[in-house]
Amino acid sequence: MSAECFDIGTIQAFLDGETAPELSASVTNHAAECVACALLIAEAEEQSSIVFSALDREFNTLVPTQRLWTRINDTIAVEKGSASWWQRFTGVFALQFSSPSFAAAAGIVMILGIFAVVTGIRDIRSRNTELASLWPTVNISHPQSVAAPSTVNESITTSDDIPNATHASVDKSNVAPEKLRKIVISTRLEEERSRPHFENAVAVDSRSIAPATEYLAGEESYVKTISELKQSVDGQKDRVLSPSSRVEYERSMAVVNDSITRMKDAVRTNPRNQSAKQVLYSAYQDKIDLLNSVVQREELIASLR
Amino acid sequence: MNSHRSKFPKLALVLCLSAGISAGQTPKAAPITPMPPRHERPVSGPATPGRFRVAVAPGDGVTSERSIAVDRNANLKMCVVEGDLKINGWHRAEIRVFVKNGSRIGIRVLEKDPSSGMPVWILLSNAADEKPGKPPQSECLSGERIEIDVPITASISVAGRATETVIDSVKKVTVKNVEGNISLRNIPGGITALTYQGDVTVENSGGAISLESATGNIVGYDVRPGEIGDVLKVKTSSGAISLQKLEHRQIEANSITGSVLFNGTLLPGGLYTFKTSNGAVRLVIPADSACTFIASYGFGQFNSEIPLKYLTENDSSTGKSLTATIGSGDARVNITTTSGSIGIKKQ
Repeated sequence: MSAECFDIGTIQAFLDGETAPELSASVTNHAAECVACALLIAEAEEQSSIVFSALDREFNTLVPTQRLWTRINDTIAVEKGSASWWQRFTGVFALQFSSPSFAAAAGIVMILGIFAVVTGIRDIRSRNTELASLWPTVNISHPQSVAAPSTVNESITTSDDIPNATHASVDKSNVAPEKLRKIVISTRLEEERSRPHFENAVAVDSRSIAPATEYLAGEESYVKTISELKQSVDGQKDRVLSPSSRVEYERSMAVVNDSITRMKDAVRTNPRNQSAKQVLYSAYQDKIDLLNSVVQREELIASLR
Repeated sequence: MNSHRSKFPKLALVLCLSAGISAGQTPKAAPITPMPPRHERPVSGPATPGRFRVAVAPGDGVTSERSIAVDRNANLKMCVVEGDLKINGWHRAEIRVFVKNGSRIGIRVLEKDPSSGMPVWILLSNAADEKPGKPPQSECLSGERIEIDVPITASISVAGRATETVIDSVKKVTVKNVEGNISLRNIPGGITALTYQGDVTVENSGGAISLESATGNIVGYDVRPGEIGDVLKVKTSSGAISLQKLEHRQIEANSITGSVLFNGTLLPGGLYTFKTSNGAVRLVIPADSACTFIASYGFGQFNSEIPLKYLTENDSSTGKSLTATIGSGDARVNITTTSGSIGIKKQ
């Protein structure tokens, strides 16, 4: 064991084929000369084979690890920096056609992106009319394709820190093979756990696009009517109502508003509470009647002039 | 000299550039904020809210009386700006109008019965506007006291501003007051009574009935339907509702801040709805009633002196409700309140 020996994280990455070509070459050269490292690589390879066989089903999914993504991104960045704009332009297509897996991945990302944009536009258009009925199940009913690539990338970046930190903290000289096996297994499991899942991304994205104001079924029409009436009444009530009527009106309005607020909270707490919904709608109707009374009063006064 | 000439275009160019730069840097004029539109108070409107200009100034009023022979089923239409209005039914086929210290009486016949030639639709108005040369005044009657006698089978339609209205013994009544109490008795053919400030009292009447007040109380006593399916609707914003001795099978009573009292019999097959936001709902009914209560009482309470058979009950802190029956549960009683109490008492 010399000072040039590589840590277990690098060896594991080497075995996974995730190290840079230069680093792979240096590891190979070093293992040829260092017996301890060769033994360590052999043990790690054996343990990896055990782990891979145990987690064969999970690892066979075509999800690239974060290091692979990083390598791809780095390679692209280097090529972009050195190539002219025409080479970059043609390189994009050449890369896609030369690498079927990348082309497939890019195609999926593009389809998901287009679908997300279309769904988003449709969702914005229909938000005011349809969200009332969707409110209780909005997180469930959004299509999975809403998961935008940006959300996935964010998750990948976050999850990358965990295995790296684990690899860096392991020193091969102080760890027994049995313990090392456990570390490898736990590391793999953590990596798998932290790997981005589309279901989670969908859930996060659905929550992020949920509107700030959510209506119950039928609630929006009440709110709309009240808003329209209020605009009309606010300009009239000072002129139409006598002081005593005004006091009574404001008092009744305060009571109704309080009822609406309280029952809204109750319904938000328990959306299945039909009784609370009924009382809420009744309070909305009271408010409409109250506002209407001012309008009708003005009409009656006008008819008597 | 030549050097000056060669410098002149450069100097001109520099001046132009500096002028352009200074023009570009000239701050834009602040946007002119439009003045809010001034609200012109209508000349013919009330000087202060709830106070109306009298059509006839005090001292200028006259005391007069007029009458006209009409069909017994005549319909009388009128509006009153101010004054105490009393309308009574009598057994003559004649309308008599008396105004004390008020406007001159105008009687217009809008329609006659083709067979008898008797007036069937009559409009009472202020006669002053009929005179040429005078500025137009309100068409509505006004006076210290207005008394009208009409055939007992006549229908009345009244619109008033500040009017205390008492109507007795006519067939059908429609009254709309901006301000003032309404008292109606012995009207079998249906009532629509609305006042935005005042109480409404109905007694010994029938038919489809709608009683509404914005800020006053409503009392209904000894009221019955004229025909099957007639509805009794009662609504007030901040007043109390008291309904006693009713025979309607369909009743809707709604108050926002006031209480609702029903004292009577829940008839089989009846549909009853009692709502209030902040007040109490009290039902005083016979112990042997047959009804189903469907109560939603938000943050309120429910109490019953009569034993109930509970079908469903939700006693959560975020909205309570129950369904319960007495007897065979024929009548259906919906009760809704946000924070008021619901009480069922024995008669």
